[in-house]
Amino acid sequence: MGVWRDMDTGTKASAIAHGALILWVIVGDVFWPFDTSSMPEVANVSLLSEADFAALQASAPKPEAPSETPPAPAEATPPPPKPAEPPAEPLPEDLPVADAAQPQDAPPPVAPIAEVEQPVPVPQSETPPTPRPMDRVAATPVDEQPDTPDVADQATPEVSSEAPPEAEVPPPDQPAAAPQEAAPVVVTEADPAPEDAPQLAPTTSIRPKSRPARPAETPPPDADAEAIAAALAEATADAPAETAAELATDAGASADIPEGPPMSGGEIEGLRVAINRCWVTSTLSTEAMNTTVTLRVEMSEAGKPTSIEMTSFEGGSAAAADRAFEAGRRAVNRCAGPNGYDLPPEKYGQWNVLNLIFDPNGMRLR
Amino acid sequence: MTKLTNLAALALLAFATFAAPARAELTIRLTDGVIEPMPVAIPTFIDEGGAGDIAASLSRVVAANLAGTGLFREIGAEAYISQVSGFDAPIAYADWQAINAQALIVGAASAQGDQIVVKFRVFDVFSGAQLGDGLQFAAPAASWRRMAHKVSDAVYSRITGEGPYFDSRVVFVAESGPKNERLKRLAVMDQDGANVQYLTDSSSIVLAPRFSPDGSRILFTSYQSGFPQIYVMDVATLQTRSLGQQEGTMTFAPRFSPDGQRVAFSLERGGNSDIYTLDLNSGALTQLTNAPSIETAPSFSPDGSQIVFESDRTGNQQIYVMPATGGEGVRISNGQGRYGTPVWSPRGDMIAFTKQNQGRFHIGVMLTDGSEERLLTSSFLDEGPTWAPNGRVLMFTRESAGAEGQAQLFAVDVAGLSLRPVPTEGPASDPSWSPLLP
Repeated sequence: MGVWRDMDTGTKASAIAHGALILWVIVGDVFWPFDTSSMPEVANVSLLSEADFAALQASAPKPEAPSETPPAPAEATPPPPKPAEPPAEPLPEDLPVADAAQPQDAPPPVAPIAEVEQPVPVPQSETPPTPRPMDRVAATPVDEQPDTPDVADQATPEVSSEAPPEAEVPPPDQPAAAPQEAAPVVVTEADPAPEDAPQLAPTTSIRPKSRPARPAETPPPDADAEAIAAALAEATADAPAETAAELATDAGASADIPEGPPMSGGEIEGLRVAINRCWVTSTLSTEAMNTTVTLRVEMSEAGKPTSIEMTSFEGGSAAAADRAFEAGRRAVNRCAGPNGYDLPPEKYGQWNVLNLIFDPNGMRLR
Repeated sequence: MTKLTNLAALALLAFATFAAPARAELTIRLTDGVIEPMPVAIPTFIDEGGAGDIAASLSRVVAANLAGTGLFREIGAEAYISQVSGFDAPIAYADWQAINAQALIVGAASAQGDQIVVKFRVFDVFSGAQLGDGLQFAAPAASWRRMAHKVSDAVYSRITGEGPYFDSRVVFVAESGPKNERLKRLAVMDQDGANVQYLTDSSSIVLAPRFSPDGSRILFTSYQSGFPQIYVMDVATLQTRSLGQQEGTMTFAPRFSPDGQRVAFSLERGGNSDIYTLDLNSGALTQLTNAPSIETAPSFSPDGSQIVFESDRTGNQQIYVMPATGGEGVRISNGQGRYGTPVWSPRGDMIAFTKQNQGRFHIGVMLTDGSEERLLTSSFLDEGPTWAPNGRVLMFTRESAGAEGQAQLFAVDVAGLSLRPVPTEGPASDPSWSPLLP
């Protein structure tokens, strides 16, 4: 006891804690029985002779190039046989049999690829929400959506839920969402003006049009209706009326225009080459050869220009710009031919309006 | 709470919808057009009464003018799907598109008294629209070629945007006889080689004729006195007078100032040539250069403020630019070889020249600071370029090699297109383009 009395407080506390720990290890099992359900089951292992093991190895299918294939995580490689059967016993991790028994026709290592691609959406979610291009959402029939806002917010599930059973399902190797995300960046948004930045889909703007007519005797306005009206008014107060009207019109007009996957580089280059081939610059005046004109061309679904107008020019006088415009217009009209340009109809929403910049400056000294 | 959430979601959705900007449009930059003649259809002009063969001749001259530029290619009548039945008949654009005619020229001619009236319209076939307004000209029947040139000018300018030049003339030296005993006389013709008129006989050698800015006078150098001296001729009366002879001197390479009041030329005295100007009103002579080298071939800038000339002051013939009041000048030719006979473009943007390099002669153009030099021709002997009134076309002398070699006039577009001979009755040299006729 004298020794205990001579101890300082810290040493006493440490001795008490250690004693309690030892006591809990010895007798704690009485008060808190061990949960054996979480314990891994032990598999019975039979010992094999070297000859038996060699025979098993010889009969087992050989994996292809195991050194080049990254090992698939255990949870990513389902047991090859009988996936419908009750879950098989988990194999002990320390057994190399799982790798060795990997069938030859095992799918390629999907998991590592997924690990590379999966992080892509994560930074997108961290960045400010990128509004989706209008034309992409236009493919979703707005007027077929249910009337309730709760359902309308869930845009993605609606597409599949509303599709009839026999409706075409997008091929699994061509998910609709992925290429559409990339297209505007590569093709049309190289140097967008701030006002031309990708925008939110206007799908919901025409939703009120598709609502069923309300009965003549509508219930008296309740607090909810007034609140909705107030919220709408507040939300649209900052947007100019004419802009809202224009956009609503545009959205309605573009709702039926097929957007399709993004225009490929080959398709754009093909159009460029086709117009270049008909762009005769030898009849341009010296001044017109120094003038760059931008033409806005509206196209029909048949690939024919329906309207061509000059939106801007630079480098020359107005008269020179007129001659340059006429040469560009001749090129667009001439190479359209009787059948129009060979453009993918499923992407009409992307080429229904073209901005063509005719820049002959590089041809002056040729 | 759920209602409030729905309200907020609805409000946000509505705001996002109305705030959404317009869809981005596909933008394509085109930089590689094609350099080829534009196919045009020029049906025979319709005779609306009394025009006879003139209507057909008019359309043929127009077609030749346009095709001669190298910028247009006429589609033969045998390829036509439809015919133009009347001047005001609707155009079957599809038929002309089918034969790839990019432009269609519809014209008609008629006799009204002693005048021939010609009218025409230009159509952009693939746009299905008329280009500009229709025009009409009236003139005596004898002047039908000038009317054809006027029509050509209007079409050419309407499509290309360049200034006109078909209705102009060219003065040149008509040559005859063997090469070592060549007879030379002044002649004038339409720019296409038609309507040749001889201005002098071949009793004395004549060189380097130059039109005045208004086309009423011609400067030229003649050996009438036994030495080269400068003379001026009135085109209307053909009266000729010397610009003043100074004993023991030779004068040559004359050229009018843009206002027609002065003449710049070379004066050789004691074996040394310098550039002078002569005031045609006062007769005052002003020396602009004073160097032991040969300075010659002066040419005014269109605004009259500068003169481009050639000099061998560095031991090699090069091109210099100096103020019109004189001075040392700045060398602007910097390539290999020798440069001479510089001529300032009537548009003021370029200088044409003759270049000799590695045994070949070239006609070329450069910007007025000497940059962007381009050689347009190459042959045994090309020299003496002259600008068309629109500054788009050059005419020059090409002489073939050998004892039987002859001089011939050629024209070329400033872009290097359509190098072609200009038809003349015989050998010809030293062309000088007139201004556009009134």
